[in-house]
Amino acid sequence: MVIELRKDELLRICRQTADRIPEVRADQWEIFAARGVENDINVFDGKIDTMSFSDSIGIGIRVFKDHSIGYAYTAVLKEDIIKDTIEKAITNSMITEKDEFNYLPTDDDQRYKKIMVKEDILFKDSFLSAEVEEKIDMAIQLESLIKNTDKRVTGVNDVTYNDSISEVCIINSNGFTGCYSTTIAMVYASVISREGKDTSTGDYFGIAKDPREIDLDEIASNAARRSVAILGGKKIRSSKMDIVLDPMTAAQFLGVIASSLSADSVQKGKSLFKDKIGEKLFKIDINIFDDGTLPEGLVSRPFDGEGIIKGKTPVFEAGELKTFLYDTYTARKDNTLSTGNASRASYRSTPTVGLSNFYISPGKYDLGEMISSIDRGLYVIDIIGLASGTNPISGQMSVGAKGLMIEKGKLTHPVKEVTIATDILTFMSSFKMLGNDLRFVPGAGYMGSPSILAENIAISGF
Amino acid sequence: MIDKRLTIKILDILNSGGASFSEIYIQKRVSSAIRLEDKKIENSNSGFDMGCGLRLWKEDSTFYGYVDSLEENKLVKAAGILSSAGKSSGTGKILDLNRELKTAKSEYNASIEKYPENIPAMVKKEILKDVDSACRQYDRRIIQITAGISDIEEEISIANSLGDQSGHKVVKVFLSVNAVASDMDLMRTGYKSLAKTMGYEVLDGSRAQEVAREASRIAVTMLDSVDAPVGELPVVIGPAFGGVIFHEACGHGLEADAILKDATVFKSKTGEKIASGVVTAIDDSTMPYNWGSYAFDGEGTPSQKTVLIEKGILKSFLYDLRTAKKLDKCPTGNGRRQSYRHVPIPRMSNTYIAAGDSKKEDLIASVKKGVYAREFAGGQVDPATGDFVFGISEGYLIENGRVSAPIKNATLIGNGPEILKRVEAVADDLDFAPGFCGKQGQSMANEVGQPTIMVSGITVGGTG
Repeated sequence: MVIELRKDELLRICRQTADRIPEVRADQWEIFAARGVENDINVFDGKIDTMSFSDSIGIGIRVFKDHSIGYAYTAVLKEDIIKDTIEKAITNSMITEKDEFNYLPTDDDQRYKKIMVKEDILFKDSFLSAEVEEKIDMAIQLESLIKNTDKRVTGVNDVTYNDSISEVCIINSNGFTGCYSTTIAMVYASVISREGKDTSTGDYFGIAKDPREIDLDEIASNAARRSVAILGGKKIRSSKMDIVLDPMTAAQFLGVIASSLSADSVQKGKSLFKDKIGEKLFKIDINIFDDGTLPEGLVSRPFDGEGIIKGKTPVFEAGELKTFLYDTYTARKDNTLSTGNASRASYRSTPTVGLSNFYISPGKYDLGEMISSIDRGLYVIDIIGLASGTNPISGQMSVGAKGLMIEKGKLTHPVKEVTIATDILTFMSSFKMLGNDLRFVPGAGYMGSPSILAENIAISGF
Repeated sequence: MIDKRLTIKILDILNSGGASFSEIYIQKRVSSAIRLEDKKIENSNSGFDMGCGLRLWKEDSTFYGYVDSLEENKLVKAAGILSSAGKSSGTGKILDLNRELKTAKSEYNASIEKYPENIPAMVKKEILKDVDSACRQYDRRIIQITAGISDIEEEISIANSLGDQSGHKVVKVFLSVNAVASDMDLMRTGYKSLAKTMGYEVLDGSRAQEVAREASRIAVTMLDSVDAPVGELPVVIGPAFGGVIFHEACGHGLEADAILKDATVFKSKTGEKIASGVVTAIDDSTMPYNWGSYAFDGEGTPSQKTVLIEKGILKSFLYDLRTAKKLDKCPTGNGRRQSYRHVPIPRMSNTYIAAGDSKKEDLIASVKKGVYAREFAGGQVDPATGDFVFGISEGYLIENGRVSAPIKNATLIGNGPEILKRVEAVADDLDFAPGFCGKQGQSMANEVGQPTIMVSGITVGGTG
């Protein structure tokens, strides 16, 4: 099936919607239209288990009246429903608080004057020609590759191929008009392995802008390795020790740090980074960026959810906190410029401060060097309970971990049912070495981290 | 919301490619959400979703598609695309257009007094303002409050090629309060929610302020928290939201799709003793007004009460139509879906450990050194292994049979099936708490519940 792009239609919908907004009842308006074409293919035992397809468009309407904001969305684009949605957005603007900083972005709010992201890094034309049979075959092939990796692999929990084309248009009453299209394909596998009475799972994924760029062998071998490696894992005695986080787990921890860097949290007194600009919070010279322009980044965009041009923001330089992440509202409050971090999950919600491609620059160490430097420690390859175990406001963290014991510089036996407990600031200052193996994981943004060695962390076992 | 002629026409198109089952799910949802933070109403959002999910089975495969519309030409087109998906050796059953579709009946009966559409946004705003002042009046150390009210009103109609149809309406209201307390450099949080499958009468009286005070109490209490112990200890788990542990660590393993994928430790254990004899666990979607209740599930099966574990013996799994058919069981009314955009899958509804006959005080008095976990921040589980982690948001030390200092930064980690065997005592104070549960990308309204229970040993992960 050939998929045609519908940017012109989106723009037309935006303009027609804007034309219906009564001028006297809204000082300013913004229309956000998004189309999503999604394919989701789940296979089991060499066959399609569930396959779904959708192609939908929705709009979100934001109106400003006397510096109050109202929002409403609709998934149904019939004229009477659009009119009703406008009406609801206007009603909502009469409920929310007035705030002098509530108004649409102007040219003065732009930090960068020119878009730095090229269309071809967002969208692969070749994606459109990938047939659905090809995608089904990829998932089926992956399942069979997994079953042949290791005799302890007894099954697959989940093998899913998923892709989407997104088209976005934003227009506003300040004259902004912008559209872009993105493609993304992801293949995910979760593997079950058994040995004796023990069962273990492990997962891995591949992600790219064109499905043909995904390496199935890599996914199969890594998912199987992560599952089998922790088979027979046991608890260890509680103590403080050095840990090495593999890039996938490190990237998840990075997400916790990132969530407190939103200027919105800081301004509301909910961030532990409040008043810490200019402080060296890491002992090592670590650099962390929020980069909306990264060519290989999956969430690179020409502009953010309110039309601010995206750039690359150094958040930490040489271990020192340089800036928070801003949308225009929070930037005006702090008398600075937006960092282009107004993000929108979909047309169903208003823009909020979010992340772009957010990553730690890699260090110089090989994983082997990091492990061999540890006398007694834990190599962490999986964590669970991060969302419930961390409180970004208080900074407390306590999460479940699985991995391999490190003794005298060597990986020894598998470990499970232990927790890592610390608080965010202590954890950050415990970073000692960064690996050279940067890898990205989709999360709140597109999160990237190399392996990290953190010292003297409380591990709880028995 | 679409007429019988069109319903049958769509089902016939879906079946024309050799499907063994087809279904049309129509939903209209009007939603609103209003949020207060920093003493201000920051957001007031309204949403409108209406569309149709189309599903069919061919051999072992499910094919699904949806349209954000109820217009005939769009439904016909989508059904046509879907009917040609996959391969089939069957011929497909064509419905008799003259035959009546059989309308399913549900025993679920819960009348609604205050429909969200009749509640002006101003009234919701006032409720949130009251919440804000109730928190700030509770203790001067409360420095920030985030509170939100969201509501939905839905109309759903479902018809399938078995000739079954159903229609029902859903009203839900959700209030949540997050309080932040601060003292010197410390910041601690408290969270409480109130959510029911009912109208705004749920917030009648001073219910919202009670929620506000409870969230504030937790935040302020935790300011005095000490380091949590580490290692394996006896744990008394509090009532209501404590049931999240059973939900996550055992309940998901009892959803029948996990059997098909050989991803549950409970597979082939029906009739066997899988838990301590004091444990009886139930899933019940028929309880009027509970957050996880419904008249019909997402496939039109009437709600029902299912005993999962009776006195330690595994009695039943939770089935949707597909898993029931594949495993030759009866559906239990647990085929749920987030919306017309989602494929129904087996899900819990209101899931709880039934009341026992012990007293909470006696449970605590029986512990020399341990932890009393009263509220949780949620958790995560690997259903294939039963391995879980839960964050304790309000917990205390138990020393010599008495609850003492609050503890910070604690998690419980363990294995669900193992813990079930270690439940020593179950108290008589059964209570429920609402939440959202995520599975395969779908978020559902779920209620968890339990009385106070005592587990002989769980690994506590702290820093002390």
